Amino acid sequence: MADTALKVHVQDLHKSYGETEVLKGLNLDIKNNEVVCMIGPSGSGKSTFLRCLTDLEVPSKGQVVINGYDLSDPKTNIDLVRENIGMVFQHFNLFPNMNVLQNITLAPVQLKKLTPAAADKTARDLLDQVGLADKATALPTALSGGQQQRVAIARALAMHPKIMLFDEPTSALDPEMVGDVLDVMKQLARDGMTMIVVTHEMGFAKEVADRVVFMADGLIRESGAPKDIFEHPQNPRLQDFLNKVINV
Amino acid sequence: MKKWQVAVVLCLAAIGSWFGLTTHAQAAEYTIATDTTFAPFEFQVKGGQYKGIDIDLLKAIAKKEHFTYQLKALSFNAAVQQLSANQVDGVIAGMNITPAREVTFDFSKPYYTSGVVMAVAKGSTVKNFNDLKGKTVALKTGTAGAAYGKSIQSKYGFKIKYFNDSNTMYNDVKVGNSSACFEDYPVMSYGIKNGIPLTIISKQHNAGDYGFAVKKGKNAALLKKFNAGLAAIKADGTYQKIINKYLHAKESKITGETASSRTFFGLFSQNLGTLGKGLWMTIELTVISIILATLLGLILGVLGVMPGKLGPAVSSTIIYIFRGMPLMVLAFFIYIGIPDLIGHGFKIPAFIAGMITLMLNEGAYTGAFVKGGFQAVDKGQMEAARSLGLPYWKAMRRVVMPQGIRIMIPSFINQFIITLKDTSILSVIGIVELTQTGTLIIARNFEGFKIWLMIAIIYLIMITLLTWLSNWVQRRIN
Ligand SMILES: Nc1ncnc2c1ncn2[C@@H]1O[C@H](COP(=O)(O)OP(=O)(O)OP(=O)(O)O)[C@@H](O)[C@H]1O
Ligand SMILES: [Mg+2]
Repeated sequence: MADTALKVHVQDLHKSYGETEVLKGLNLDIKNNEVVCMIGPSGSGKSTFLRCLTDLEVPSKGQVVINGYDLSDPKTNIDLVRENIGMVFQHFNLFPNMNVLQNITLAPVQLKKLTPAAADKTARDLLDQVGLADKATALPTALSGGQQQRVAIARALAMHPKIMLFDEPTSALDPEMVGDVLDVMKQLARDGMTMIVVTHEMGFAKEVADRVVFMADGLIRESGAPKDIFEHPQNPRLQDFLNKVINV
Repeated sequence: MKKWQVAVVLCLAAIGSWFGLTTHAQAAEYTIATDTTFAPFEFQVKGGQYKGIDIDLLKAIAKKEHFTYQLKALSFNAAVQQLSANQVDGVIAGMNITPAREVTFDFSKPYYTSGVVMAVAKGSTVKNFNDLKGKTVALKTGTAGAAYGKSIQSKYGFKIKYFNDSNTMYNDVKVGNSSACFEDYPVMSYGIKNGIPLTIISKQHNAGDYGFAVKKGKNAALLKKFNAGLAAIKADGTYQKIINKYLHAKESKITGETASSRTFFGLFSQNLGTLGKGLWMTIELTVISIILATLLGLILGVLGVMPGKLGPAVSSTIIYIFRGMPLMVLAFFIYIGIPDLIGHGFKIPAFIAGMITLMLNEGAYTGAFVKGGFQAVDKGQMEAARSLGLPYWKAMRRVVMPQGIRIMIPSFINQFIITLKDTSILSVIGIVELTQTGTLIIARNFEGFKIWLMIAIIYLIMITLLTWLSNWVQRRIN
């Protein structure tokens, strides 16, 4: 399955917490090099969906195949699957007990992907790429939110993931920081990274996404090219959502 | 990483060498237990040695009969319990031969006969038994005095308060909490001769015989030797010499102390060696227990936050049991209860029992705050680490634990101080640490205020040093 073009295959995905069903049967296929932006109102299940892709949440029902690994197969080694997925969180989740360089080199060195020297070199290159070459020895607490998020992206990239998942990477940032982070993500997209981005940045979605997926109440309600979604929304809930977002 | 490995090795080495020492010491044929504070029958003198009628008689008899023994000084209660649990071979502790005791013990021929007297504070309004109505009488558990007091309690209508050692009992009468105490005549009269401000106001009642005891049906040979030796030293006059020496002497003669050395600093320099030994025992216990409790606590904490149900369940059960049990009960349970249960002459040295007690109790408290500390680390940290592909244990060790432990440092410091203080409770199983050292010194010189002040100051100094050390470590880590 590794050389088919499908990076993500999700079929009839359900997730319940106790009585409440949060995901109600999602289907989604994502091809290699595709950039998918997910939008939708708060509580619609976007984060839950992303977390199901890396087994941070275990689906109640349905199938998730990512990078060719079927997550519901008990033989699948989840740590191996995660090595190939880069995850970027809303609140960065940098390790405060390590400096920037250590944050980035921890996983490659611990998992014996790279020697410490090679990991160091990779980390410095990545920091250069996200515009933070001078922050290598800084502690996370000494960085602004935007800088922290760029370090978090570099940390994920250090494992050479085959796909990157972003869960509202800019919504915890002051407005003037957002641009730097989005620039890094745009560059990633141009370099051909497969990406799923949950975001409220409609401008970014319009400019970068190959496809925009709209979620509401645990279901994908509409999906298509950015142009279609933003200029000719069909689903009334999407129309409603866009009105609200644009009129803020 | 390296440092804690060194700590573990050191700790194991310490325990190992300690085991080595105990096995070495047990080369003696018999282990014989005695009381610690029952002058003139047994009491500690300068340098930690024990003296007294029982001690000297035993020594003389052993010499006559050519047997060797190791003396184990415990509280009277602990000595008797250990004898019945087969932890020791015999007890010589001014122990009355009573029908009840003869059910579980075999006694030697009586070696001393004494009666119970009532003593009150100087100037007390209590002049006879009738005056005791509604008042409180202090008794020492397990003694003939206690048995006598109990037997006349309902007749004279007084309340009873029990103590584990004589000096605390005398003191309770002296300060007026209790109105009177019942005590064996030679013991009381010796105490009064040596400065206890009480007076004897009754004649001797219920004269009873003191005997050397072994467990029923065991150690018949030892008992036989004791009887033969006793007869021999009575015949050659040694017996009378010993009795005279203690019954008609001041404690200073026996211990070589002078009146001028009764000032605070005089007492301090005189008891320096004994206090030093007790202090060292306290430090040893504290350090080893802190290391073991910390290891146990970390294990319990990690189990407590493990995914799945089993780890957390095991962790909270252990924490629940050992945090809920009073330290003293736990100490008795391990030291006396477990050997009792196992039987076959199984013994646990007091030091080891004390260490295990502290490890379990302090370890449970440590486990609780370690678990809390790990839980206080943002969940996103674990998720981020796992998302990078780190397996659970690697994520735990590299990311969650370092952050959690930093949160816990103040709790650790607090727990270390509590452990230091809790070592004092282990005096109940006969470990001669600092507090027990104090009890023993006071048992012979009756200088309660000065000695307890000394001990309190030593504890405060230790705690201050420990706090400084911890703060220094904390600064280094941050
Ligand atoms: N651990 C949980 N237990 C119970 N309910 C949960 C849990 N996690 C999420 N939910 C619920 O699931 C629903 C979907 O949550 P989710 O975080 O996926 O929404 P979202 O689309 O990411 O929203 P937002 O835009 O606010 O981030 C919400 O109603 C939320 O309250
Ligand atoms: Mg969300």
